[in-house]
Amino acid sequence: MTELFLSQDTSSRSIGSRDVLSALRTEQLQRGDFDLVLTGSRGAFFLEPMIEVSTPGGRVGYANVHAEDVPALLDGGMLDGAEIRPFYLGLVDDIPFLQKQERITFRNCGIIQAGSLEDYLEVGGGEALRRALFELTPEQIIEEVKRSGLLGRGGAAFPAGLKWQTVANCGSDEKYVVANGDEGDPGTYADRMLMEGDPFALLEGMAVCAVAVGAHSGFIYVRAEYPRARQVLQHAVDVARDSGFLGHNLLGSGFAFDVEIRSGAGAYVCGEETALLESLEGKRGMVRPKPPYPAVQGLFGKPTVINNITTLATIPPILRQGADRYAALGIGRSRGTIALQLAGALRTPGLVEVPFGITLRQVLDTFGGGVQEGRQLLAVQTGGPLGDVLTEQSLDLPVEFDAFAAAGGMLGHGGIVVYDDRTEPLELAHRLMAFCAEESCGKCAPCRIGTQRATEILASWLAGEAAADDRVLLNDIAFAMRGASLCALGSSACTPVISALNLLPGMPR
Amino acid sequence: MPGITIDGNNYEAAEGTTLMEVARREGLPISSVCYSDHLQSYGSCRLCVVQVEGQRALSAACTTVVREGMVVETGTPEVRRIRRTLLELYLSENAGQYRPGGSAHAELNDLATEYEASPLRFQGERHTVRQATVDNTGPYFSFDSSLCILCARCVRACDEVQGQNVLHLEGRGFSTRVVADPGTFDASACVTCGACVKECPTGALSDKRVLEQSQRPLPAHETPDRTVRTTCAYCGVGCQFEAQVSGNRIIRMYPVDDSPVNMGHACVKGRYAFDYVRHPDRLTRPLIRQSEKPGDFREGSWDEVVALIASRFTKLLESNGPDAVACISSSRGTNEENYLMQKFTRICLGNNHIDNCARVCHSSTVAGMQEVFGTGAATNSLADIESTRLILAVGCNPTEAHPVVGARIKRAVRRGTKLIVIDPRKIELTRYADVHLQLRPGTNVAVLNGLANVIISEGLADERFIAERTENYDAYRETVAAYTPESVEEISGVPADLLRRAARLYATSGASMAYHGLGVTEHLTGSYGVMALADLAILTGNVGRPGTGINPLRGQNNVQGSCDVGALPNVLTAYQKPSDPDVRARFEAEWRWPVPQQPGWKIPEMWEAALAGKLKAMWIMGYDAAQTEPNTDLVRGALANLDFLVVSDLFLSETALLAHVVLPASGALEKDGTFTNGERRVQRVRRVVDPPGEALSDAEAICEVAAAMGKPMLHRDPSEIMDEIARLTPSLAGISYERLEDGGLQWPVPVTHEVSNHPGTAILHTDRFPRGLARFAPVEYVPPGEEPDERYPLVLITGRVLQHYNAGTMTRRTRLGEVVDRDLLEVHPDDAQLYGLKDHCQARVESRRGSVCLTVRVSERVAPGTAFTSFHFPEAQVNTLLSSSADVITRCPEYKVLAVRATPLRLRYDWRGIK
Repeated sequence: MTELFLSQDTSSRSIGSRDVLSALRTEQLQRGDFDLVLTGSRGAFFLEPMIEVSTPGGRVGYANVHAEDVPALLDGGMLDGAEIRPFYLGLVDDIPFLQKQERITFRNCGIIQAGSLEDYLEVGGGEALRRALFELTPEQIIEEVKRSGLLGRGGAAFPAGLKWQTVANCGSDEKYVVANGDEGDPGTYADRMLMEGDPFALLEGMAVCAVAVGAHSGFIYVRAEYPRARQVLQHAVDVARDSGFLGHNLLGSGFAFDVEIRSGAGAYVCGEETALLESLEGKRGMVRPKPPYPAVQGLFGKPTVINNITTLATIPPILRQGADRYAALGIGRSRGTIALQLAGALRTPGLVEVPFGITLRQVLDTFGGGVQEGRQLLAVQTGGPLGDVLTEQSLDLPVEFDAFAAAGGMLGHGGIVVYDDRTEPLELAHRLMAFCAEESCGKCAPCRIGTQRATEILASWLAGEAAADDRVLLNDIAFAMRGASLCALGSSACTPVISALNLLPGMPR
Repeated sequence: MPGITIDGNNYEAAEGTTLMEVARREGLPISSVCYSDHLQSYGSCRLCVVQVEGQRALSAACTTVVREGMVVETGTPEVRRIRRTLLELYLSENAGQYRPGGSAHAELNDLATEYEASPLRFQGERHTVRQATVDNTGPYFSFDSSLCILCARCVRACDEVQGQNVLHLEGRGFSTRVVADPGTFDASACVTCGACVKECPTGALSDKRVLEQSQRPLPAHETPDRTVRTTCAYCGVGCQFEAQVSGNRIIRMYPVDDSPVNMGHACVKGRYAFDYVRHPDRLTRPLIRQSEKPGDFREGSWDEVVALIASRFTKLLESNGPDAVACISSSRGTNEENYLMQKFTRICLGNNHIDNCARVCHSSTVAGMQEVFGTGAATNSLADIESTRLILAVGCNPTEAHPVVGARIKRAVRRGTKLIVIDPRKIELTRYADVHLQLRPGTNVAVLNGLANVIISEGLADERFIAERTENYDAYRETVAAYTPESVEEISGVPADLLRRAARLYATSGASMAYHGLGVTEHLTGSYGVMALADLAILTGNVGRPGTGINPLRGQNNVQGSCDVGALPNVLTAYQKPSDPDVRARFEAEWRWPVPQQPGWKIPEMWEAALAGKLKAMWIMGYDAAQTEPNTDLVRGALANLDFLVVSDLFLSETALLAHVVLPASGALEKDGTFTNGERRVQRVRRVVDPPGEALSDAEAICEVAAAMGKPMLHRDPSEIMDEIARLTPSLAGISYERLEDGGLQWPVPVTHEVSNHPGTAILHTDRFPRGLARFAPVEYVPPGEEPDERYPLVLITGRVLQHYNAGTMTRRTRLGEVVDRDLLEVHPDDAQLYGLKDHCQARVESRRGSVCLTVRVSERVAPGTAFTSFHFPEAQVNTLLSSSADVITRCPEYKVLAVRATPLRLRYDWRGIK
């Protein structure tokens, strides 16, 4: 029977795919000539809600479908892949936005049924865990991960294999694997898309990690604002446990590993690994001083691998296809692919997984479609709210951790937010600072008081009350915060503001 | 040991220490406001950032662990610029305000001065003072959030030092604030230990008394002008304080950091409850009863009362023989005073009728441990709490009665030390316990024997220790064989499986340490309970090593010392027997008077003798027998039957009211001397303020009366008394005031030919027991003296609450008298329903002896069928309910078990009305 695929990812649902689903279900009851497969999103949000139909030639797509369009589409021959305008997209794989990507981490997103372990196994899932349990020694697993060159995708770009190695080397009765799903950078959504679209890949990545480091307990810390991701994950964990994919006897190997899901209470800073661990322990989400690093003293004081969701979800393809294949992609120290999340004033925003090395301009033009007609690019902010504000001049930077760092910016978790000339520069600067003031955990003095004072100064400028020594004060605050803050939130909080003040037009000097 | 360089100088530091720890040790000034020696590093103020060579970013000294070869610069221009900005940011937050009464000095403001930080730079319109809240709801300290800089030292002290977790940080970022959960201190679980106040660098948390003092316009001579180090006079923990004194007024009791006893911590009583010193009720002149009516006094002079006492005592002794006069001295008094009192009794009265109030608390401990070990004192030190693997707490409630020890135990448990609690109530420690054996009151012996039964039957006994260092094991094994977990469950109500678990934990921890309190000793089988506990220790080899042993928590400050110096009817100093000719010879040579041999009366025997007319006169020093003795009506009858009663006290106590002469005494803050705490540590007590009016120390009073009786004891200074004690007592021979200057010595402190500066003894019985081998003392369970029946269905337990101390003579006369203003009857909700009792309502509680009125508190702290009350308030006279049931060996009263019934008061009156 013909299969229809529909994304029930949070983004998709927010623009109507839930209504489309009800309409399809109604029709399914009456017609009964198609099966419905609920997937995650492919990340091409400008096409959603999108229905895909399996045809002998491949999946054919229908974009921007509304619930009321569904009967007509079915009547018009959608099940046969008919060319119905204006919805018809042709073969989904040929859509340039998708076709030009190199999907490894997100290979299954939007393609398989998110909650189905069978579907996951059918596309090669489980192979990595099987190898880890039965073919490789823990040392070999870690060696593979190291060889892949995989850097942590949470933002700090620390080599994943090295982190695992540290935990594996710790002699301890208890160790933990923690998946950081507290994706708080405004304009980022890769973790959420993955958790909702390919949850078993995450679980498999965690299980492989557990085998490698000798952990038997794992936690996924899901952002409080991601209820659906939590729901999908919980379902996946239940299914995995029932099937021996998790639990006291992984794939019959005798190795025990189980996963629990936890949520915070909506604090940005809990995405910082030590604050996340505090929160997991049931305490107030505040940053711990490092060292000791979590790999040595993490959750409940035990050695802990804490990796980003996308880092862990990249492990299964690496182990299945071999580290070398992954390492062959990318440039410099940044190997493999990165999932960039385009947001803001672009024509076709969405998630783009590409090998490192592409320039920012290529990303914005090729995938983002540039700014809207008649608009001028004002600024691009990469790496989340703490990242540098870049302007037109910087767009030829290659997307690569070290190149960004060398240019004073950051790639972070891969968020790219574009502002056009409708944005008032001073308001942007104030907004950026106010975000940090709002999200400061309040532990260290430079961040707690500094963000507040800096926001107040910017607010006074907005009100037209700039004082003569304000820039000196701001610079002093920025200097102290950069030099003395406890975590990256504080030390980077002034970075985008200072760069905005320096680079954008119409700022008080 | 890593070598590091700080600002060009080389230092050595132990592995794992932080740069800040090195700096503090070496006296290097690295700035910080969030760091405290008592707390874990927190790294929030960031003032301590330093430049470590080779590091791109700056490092916070408080969280940076030293590494070999580390080169550190603490004052680069960059660092100084950052510090100054940070200080200015802080000042913008609290406008640079400071008030005294928090930590030792104005930490933030001093730094601001040093760095020339301006409070105005980030101020003006942009300055947002956090919505100020002032919380004055606690009795002793105040919190003003507008001064707070969120260093969280208070929050961490509440958590890490006291384990109370009352203080929290609420909100995020700039709107973060410190709150006492659930909003104010009075509504919170705050125990007013003051650890938070001691940490506050700006005085946002501040002692009210310091604030009051600072707001009082002062004549020049009353400015805070001196500090005096002394020992707390409340419980037997023996915390060390620095009293801060202005003129003759105590402003603050500041717990010192260098004491191994309290390590800078304190409880509400020690730190704050000293208001009684200046209470208007204090006795300031001697009183003489002027009619037959008790309490009808006139004031007299010291000359007059001394002559009167001397003549009455002399006459009564002449006409009635040497048994006519007896003395009770006080575990509240100093060693020197207790020593003099027993010397007075033995020389001036010519008998051994001297006892002290340790009789009613830990006499069973002395007897029980004596039997097994050959000596009756704590085997180990408080410091062992840090090293032990398991703490067994039996019949004690340290978080209320010995709060500093309680806090130390909580800290240990949080570090991973195991805890077993044996107690009929769900006391606070049970929340921390691995196992709580909630036994029926009075069944200690059965439960302790049950533990031994499991240990033996599961092969967990330390066979080698038993073979090498004990005797009489076979008899013991035979006795405990009957105490199977199931049979113990029947007697005690403790589930057999829990008992097994506790036994395994205790026997296998590697180092198990027992603490016990009056819940063990104040029973018909008190001494037996102590023996059963000591038996357990030798059964498992848990004695004579660090982190082990049997450790009584002494109720009063000098229970240990008053007994050590011979204020007991059967022994002289350090338990030397007067029957021993060598001992007697030594004492007689020193005293130059004969030492009587016939053992004297214990306190209960004194009451009996008084009632029988044999005892004609008594001198009772610092002991409110008429309120605190059990079966109080009998005791009052005995006191009323005396021809002549002398009472020395701070206040006109219930006992003093019955006296013929009342002597105004000086309190522990008003005299010099020593106390010996529960771990055998002899510590100095120093005169902090002058006593009121004509009050004199008991030592002075005793010397006056002795002289008037023609047997003068010439002591100009308490140190001379200690020297005499040392001369007479081998185990205290090395003690002198000079040597105590450095913080106290734990006896035995012998002097030999080789060693003249013995360091004291932290752990007893390491090689041998005083009696050679330890002797197993097999004891059988005997039911308590009184068991519930149909008419009196509830078992009443009596004990202390945190805020008050014993008879409450002192604490009731402090602000704590308002915090807890009555004795409460705790009953289980089931019983409350059964007997119609409601929270906050009055109940009549009746025993076979008497009846009292108490306010009900319905609580699940007690088990169904049991009830609890304290005995701090004379209005309630709880002790009138008690029987004369007492320990079969030492006659330590059975305060802990009595059968009562409780009825709601109002219903009763209604019923009468109808009739």
